[in-house]
Amino acid sequence: MTQVCVNSLRVAVPGKTLLDDLNLEFSPGQLVGLIGPNGAGKTTLIKTLAGFQPAGTGSVTWNGRDIRQWTARERAAVCGYLPQHYVFAWDYNVRDLIELGAARVAANEHSIADAVRAHELEALVERRWSTLSGGERARCLLASVMVAAPALLLVDEPGASLDIRHRIDLLARLRATAAKATVIVVMHDLELAARYCDRLVLLANGRIAQDAPSAEVIAPGALDATFGVRFQRVAIRPGFDAMLGIPPS
Amino acid sequence: MGCSRLLLGAALLGSLGFAASAGHDWATPAAVFRSLAGDDSLQSQLLITWRYPRILAAALVGALLGLGGAIFQGVFRNPLAEPYLLGSSGGAAVGATIALLMPMGLPSQWLLAGLSFLGAWGATWLVLLVGGWRRGADAAHLLLAGVAIAAMLGAVRSFMMLALSDDTMNLQAVLSWTLGGIQTPSWWGLLLLGGLTVVALAAVMTLAHGLDLLGLGDEQAHAFGLQPERFVRWAVLIASAVVAVAVAWGGLVAFVGLIAPHVARWRCGPRHRRLLPESAAIGAILVVLCDGLARSVLPPAEIPLGLITAVFGGPFFLFVLARRRRP
Repeated sequence: MTQVCVNSLRVAVPGKTLLDDLNLEFSPGQLVGLIGPNGAGKTTLIKTLAGFQPAGTGSVTWNGRDIRQWTARERAAVCGYLPQHYVFAWDYNVRDLIELGAARVAANEHSIADAVRAHELEALVERRWSTLSGGERARCLLASVMVAAPALLLVDEPGASLDIRHRIDLLARLRATAAKATVIVVMHDLELAARYCDRLVLLANGRIAQDAPSAEVIAPGALDATFGVRFQRVAIRPGFDAMLGIPPS
Repeated sequence: MGCSRLLLGAALLGSLGFAASAGHDWATPAAVFRSLAGDDSLQSQLLITWRYPRILAAALVGALLGLGGAIFQGVFRNPLAEPYLLGSSGGAAVGATIALLMPMGLPSQWLLAGLSFLGAWGATWLVLLVGGWRRGADAAHLLLAGVAIAAMLGAVRSFMMLALSDDTMNLQAVLSWTLGGIQTPSWWGLLLLGGLTVVALAAVMTLAHGLDLLGLGDEQAHAFGLQPERFVRWAVLIASAVVAVAVAWGGLVAFVGLIAPHVARWRCGPRHRRLLPESAAIGAILVVLCDGLARSVLPPAEIPLGLITAVFGGPFFLFVLARRRRP
């Protein structure tokens, strides 16, 4: 279980402030979504939380300890990270990738077999990365991260290259993981964010515009100014409605 | 192709057998066996004193070239990366040329290896810095920087050979060394080369897991516990030492560092704990075979080893390039 705290965090590059005075707290048991328009700072925040992007001023702590004090190896043992884009230099097979993920905590063959089973990869273990479909790749990457049973899982746009069925499948898996770990996910799809996340942090221009339960954030009128579109709730069938973004006329 | 050690062992034995026979005076298999059994005929003496140490040196140089190529491809994350193409061998050659043309009162083999190492290390860093490695440059930029720096180092080496050689230094000898070639070492020299190769293999094997992680990309490697910048610094240091020893004993031998890891990857996949020793074995086979050809194709003359590896390696490079362009 990992408690993540962000204290007065500011990250800047020459000529631009990417994150400005953020204060956040993340606890296990909730699936937290980071949403916001392009350039709002979502990816910068998730990379800073993971320790890849140095915090400018302020701090990020995991269980009360500043992440600058953690070595890369210590961080890898606690935190799983799924990037937005992944380009591998070599055509690893599924087993290779899961083994590489397992090595960060010296997980044994048993854990690897469990991860393969849990992500329905039994028939694919010897298959090369280049031969996998988008959905199979997503499951394989998730297995390589989850094999170490990380207490903190950071995911940058998990569905970017997936069709809707696989996006839903992945989010369901992340939600199940959130029951026993701290899970923070960058999301673009507001509809799925509303349906799967317990809590949403809305970022705009590097600042927190809203931080509340999903139902409060994804509500008519709440997002219009941030995204520059008008959102309208549309009833699909009884008990199931969706948010529709309508561009300004 | 499976990762059969038996096949590889058979190929290595076959190449050693071929090389033992090959020369401007071919030895029959029976003569080879007789010499190994302790026969003291003149032919056996010549084989044991001249040919076998050279074959063993060729195998060790080949193993080092295979290892060097595998590390370079892993660090640059590109199957076209190779110490020769990236200027690392060229840097080692500049260092070795200084050692050969400007004796400094140190034992020649140590001076040669030491200056080769400094040259290889300096040249590789120059490629990484000019190619924008710290700014996250792609592999193509690094390769182009490597090609340009290799060309410049070639010019520097040629200039030094013209400017520094005198009557006491046989320019032809230095030139033939830069074209690549295994000289018959003394048994002491062979022992030193063997020892260095064992140390190199042990050092290189410590890089295996890091090279695997580096292949996932900087971000994922970091997420799996590697500090890519620090690791690359360490890997380049080890790769430079490996290349320097290979250049000090074998001159400039192109393309072995390209072909060996490629064939190893086809056989065993991309994981470096299998790829590295496999590359060493395939590099050894290639250089032993090519050195055998170098000694036997145009008797009594000898063809430079680098020329033979380039004849095979050039088309192989183009083949790999064409495969990569395929969708």
